[in-house]
Amino acid sequence: MELSIAGAGARLGGRWVVDGVEATPPPGALTGLLGPNGAGKTTLLRLVAGLLEPHAGAVLVSDPAASDPRPAVPVHTLPRRERARQVALLEQASDAAVPLSVREVVALGRTPYRSVWGTDPDPGAVDRALEAATAAHLADRAWATLSGGERQRVHVARALAQEPALLLLDEPTNHLDVSAQLALLGFVRRLGVTTVAALHDLNLAAAYCEHVLVLSAGRLVAAGPPGEVLTPALVHDVYGVAAHVLTHPVTGRPVIAYGPAEDG
Amino acid sequence: MRSTRTDAPATGGRAPLRPPLAVLLAVGTTALVATLLVAVTIGPADLGVGEVVRSVGAHLGLRAPDVPRLHDAIVWELRLPRVLTAAAVGAGLAVAGAVMQSLTRNPLADPYLLGLSSGASLGAVAVLLLGVALLLPVAAFVGALAALAATLALARTGGTLTPTRAVLAGLAISQLAAAATSFVVFWTATGDSYREILSWLMGSLAGATWASVAIAGGALVVVGSVVLAGAGRLDAFAFGDTAAAALGVHVDRTRWVTMTLVALLTGAMVAVSGAIGFVGLVLPHAVSVVTGPAHRRLLPVAGLAGAVLLVWADTLARTVFDPRELPVGIVTALLGVPVFAVLLRRGRGASWS
Repeated sequence: MELSIAGAGARLGGRWVVDGVEATPPPGALTGLLGPNGAGKTTLLRLVAGLLEPHAGAVLVSDPAASDPRPAVPVHTLPRRERARQVALLEQASDAAVPLSVREVVALGRTPYRSVWGTDPDPGAVDRALEAATAAHLADRAWATLSGGERQRVHVARALAQEPALLLLDEPTNHLDVSAQLALLGFVRRLGVTTVAALHDLNLAAAYCEHVLVLSAGRLVAAGPPGEVLTPALVHDVYGVAAHVLTHPVTGRPVIAYGPAEDG
Repeated sequence: MRSTRTDAPATGGRAPLRPPLAVLLAVGTTALVATLLVAVTIGPADLGVGEVVRSVGAHLGLRAPDVPRLHDAIVWELRLPRVLTAAAVGAGLAVAGAVMQSLTRNPLADPYLLGLSSGASLGAVAVLLLGVALLLPVAAFVGALAALAATLALARTGGTLTPTRAVLAGLAISQLAAAATSFVVFWTATGDSYREILSWLMGSLAGATWASVAIAGGALVVVGSVVLAGAGRLDAFAFGDTAAAALGVHVDRTRWVTMTLVALLTGAMVAVSGAIGFVGLVLPHAVSVVTGPAHRRLLPVAGLAGAVLLVWADTLARTVFDPRELPVGIVTALLGVPVFAVLLRRGRGASWS
């Protein structure tokens, strides 16, 4: 899916939480959304998901792969069900209030496809999503008994069950151990779906993202390939920490080494 | 100390197996039909199931009347309307409770959450004591609607409607209506009317007629089918409002339309029977142990279970201390609290911890 964020802004309590963001994340690739806490990453994801109507500008989507290529439309004006078939959002720290099985959680992703009688036109979709997210072995587990990494994997399966052309992830690697973090981002990158992921870990972003957007106080301050964007000056300006950028000995991608802190 | 792990049930993390919906519906329907036939025979006058079937058949024009006039009148004029009203009210309360718990993501939610029962009580007491010229069910329904309107208006002041605000506003309106009811009772009640009022406040099916069957049954069928058609949307609330919105659900509209429909259903139930407690609170939890939380399974099975439960509770209420009747709310509380305790011990779901 082609995504174009055109001067999008959102106010919250009179303050511009997202302010005039212009960006075109590359289609079919993983884009990292970076920035300190409170920079507006979650709000920007909600704008891109069409859950929040921008107070300024627009978020435009178009699907060049569709059989009848349509001009780009503002995502929040798409009919709800159609939008949910195109855009999937994984929230931060999302937990269920009821005792669901993993299969039931993934089946929620089929909501926008179901008829009024609850039948799914594609009964194999849940199994395929579980398979694709390498979560098939968890299908009969109770949601409440999963580990953090397993939960994240099931959330991804639920998002894939929506068969989205645009995947939005809000800090998907939070609370995951290192191997689960690497596995998740590697897997998402291989999907080939246009993906925007809010990330805290600059090294993960540098290692896995084709493109990064850096937000600071609601504004986009840098965008581009991580090798060009993640400079010591930018890390210092945005995060207020000293940093050195090294080169990964195997992948050649940037590795950020922090500090020492300026005041010792 | 048996175990220090609290998150893994004895199944080793496997989700419990869930019986097919068709089996649950077949079992529930059979149990309900048997319950209705047997419950009608219980009580003074020696009736048999065969006689009940023959009497009903005659009234439906399926066969010639051959049941003694007195027995026929007991079946058709007294017991059948009462038993059917109990079934409809039980089903309606169970469905309303299940929906309220999902929409507010609050396991303690019940059908009376938005101040409905207190409003209905105030309406009923106004009729019984102040001689307001309205039929009692009408007054109760009007009271419930007034309380609902006041709750939603209060919840809406100064911002958006959220489930938490609705619950808090409902609490405030409940307290207000309860205080007004107590005041009226305190100021005007005499000995006899006091018992009548108490019986109504605790919930009672003693006054059930064919009109009650029509009101409760009609509300159940209309609201029940609309809510069941939206069952998939209710499921989508499992991970909260944002997740539901991302799945294509119109969160605000779904929540408020469904809440209002369920409130109307509850208002109809309260109008015919008073506020019967615990059915709407406990049954959805107990039933979801078997059905799982998916509403397309939970709602119909909870409805059948609520119907069976309330018919038996009411049968107990009218026979245990015969010829005196207990308010059926006392019986449902006696049945409901132990079940609730068992469910609490099982500690189902993260939100119970």
